Amino acid sequence: MIDDLRRIAARLTDRFTRRFWGPTFRCPVCHFLIAAVDADGNALLVCPVCGVVIEIESVYGHIVPVVHDVEVSRPQPKARLHPLATHLPIGLFPFALLGAAVLFFASLVGGWGIALGTRAPVLADATLVLLVLAVAGALPTFASGLWDWNRRYRRRPYRQIAFKVAGSIVFLAVGALAIGLHASGAVFSGTTGLMELGSPLGLVLAMLYLGALAGNMLLVAVLGHVGGTLVFGR
Amino acid sequence: MMDFSLSSEQQEHVEKAREFTREWISPNAARHDRSGEFPLEICREAFKRGLMNPHVPTEYGGRAERVLDHCLVMEEMCTGCSGIATAIDGNGLSQYPIILAGTHEQKRRFLAPMTEQLMFSAYAVTEPEAGSDVSRVKTTAVKVGSDYVLNGVKWWITNGSVASWYFVLARTGESLTGFVVPADSPGIVRGPKEHNLGQHASNTVRVTLEDVKVPEAFRLGAEGDGFNIAMATFNHTRPGVAAGANGITKAALNIALSYAKRRRTFDKKLISNQGISFKIAEMMTKLDAARFLTYKAAWLFDRGEDNAREAAQAKWFAADVAMGAALDCAQILGGYGYTQEMPAEKLIRDAKIYQIYEGATEIQKMIIVAKMLRLKEVH
Repeated sequence: MIDDLRRIAARLTDRFTRRFWGPTFRCPVCHFLIAAVDADGNALLVCPVCGVVIEIESVYGHIVPVVHDVEVSRPQPKARLHPLATHLPIGLFPFALLGAAVLFFASLVGGWGIALGTRAPVLADATLVLLVLAVAGALPTFASGLWDWNRRYRRRPYRQIAFKVAGSIVFLAVGALAIGLHASGAVFSGTTGLMELGSPLGLVLAMLYLGALAGNMLLVAVLGHVGGTLVFGR
Repeated sequence: MMDFSLSSEQQEHVEKAREFTREWISPNAARHDRSGEFPLEICREAFKRGLMNPHVPTEYGGRAERVLDHCLVMEEMCTGCSGIATAIDGNGLSQYPIILAGTHEQKRRFLAPMTEQLMFSAYAVTEPEAGSDVSRVKTTAVKVGSDYVLNGVKWWITNGSVASWYFVLARTGESLTGFVVPADSPGIVRGPKEHNLGQHASNTVRVTLEDVKVPEAFRLGAEGDGFNIAMATFNHTRPGVAAGANGITKAALNIALSYAKRRRTFDKKLISNQGISFKIAEMMTKLDAARFLTYKAAWLFDRGEDNAREAAQAKWFAADVAMGAALDCAQILGGYGYTQEMPAEKLIRDAKIYQIYEGATEIQKMIIVAKMLRLKEVH
């Protein structure tokens, strides 16, 4: 069962990689997966992880990389702002999602709502605070990531970084939407602190809110994973 | 007059196979090698492009492709990945006994559907105690009424777990007889995939036959014809195997050449070193020599002449050349040739099987000598 799930996940990842990255190859030094389209006009590129300068050539569909040089003096991020800042969205977002999920079940199952009682509005407020902190924390994360790309990776066009930039923008936009839905009172009742699922509009808004949180959770996890591979390699 | 050029039709075949290799086989070679997953999607595409079941006669929906043309296609596909190419081409080995000795009804029933939809079949002859020495086969076929009841274990069966039917060689008394056994027959048990050294994309499993009932109508030829059918099949398939080995040599040569032309050592291109450039010259020359042996064996078969010696020569020589070329490729790549991230190490693992399957190198030499014993002089 687990093997089957792994196989399905590997197939989906592979399809995504091929669709958006084209042919790929592994750095012969650090094994990092590199998109062939990242090479410049002279078929040269620098591995973002180990810094070797690689020239690639496609022979019968096989990509044959040749290592020519290595960037030994790569600027290191001094304050390491980006890895520190990532703790805010990655660390706080799961708890915001957890709070929203508890409130959803409490709104759905009467017994849960009664059990929460007066603590429901407090939990709703706490969820909003966590959500705001997680999304606001993504701003310095994004900015410091761009700074690192400029300094350490010399603005080279890596697919992984392009994906992270696009993903971060989506995360911020979807996060802002979720905050807007929560803070405006469109999803939660001001008195009970529970979701208003009675009307069709209320149900749609609640689903939109939960969907935005769940999607962002998945996105932040993938962005964190891609960032981790950029630092630690395979 | 001799003509070494390809006809426009053959050139078209080569171009088609090369495009398919570049687009589908090579980019997926490393992935399937790592995962060992059967390349079903690639086979589906190969089927769509008419690259599967080339030998099926035209009256059963096939193209009745000449062996020489098939060799050209196999060389191209094996340049991408010989494991994936084996999965695509594995049907040929089991189809040929039916083409050779099957009745019209058997051909209509087992070959025709394979040209209409993607299906696989497998050649189930090898047993744990009977590899190169096929005469040691212990699987039994006992006549019970109008049926035969088969019992035995077949090992290292290529495409074994995806096959819709098997060509099975079984013992009927003192002699061997060939049968076509549908894979959904009660009593057929397919084992797990074997973890081989190379060709990981190819599906190799064991197939157990436990009281499998096979109608008499599924027997190929007469009782006792099995050994000759199985051996005659190799005269047809060995040039294709040799062409597969040539594909590996071509891949090794291309990779080594591309690398040596670009990599710099001691302030000059790697290929500027005589020790390296001579290796590449030798690889190219041996590839051409292996190709000519292969093409001749295929050409003789297509003319309806006995090609047993030439097919054995081609298979042995091409396999040894592929093994040597893969090792030389890794040597030229230096330390990188030893890493899993470069294609050279896969070529070494894939090439080895060519010296073993469809008759080990030593068996090929025995065939050559056996043919020569009948000669007074060699001209």
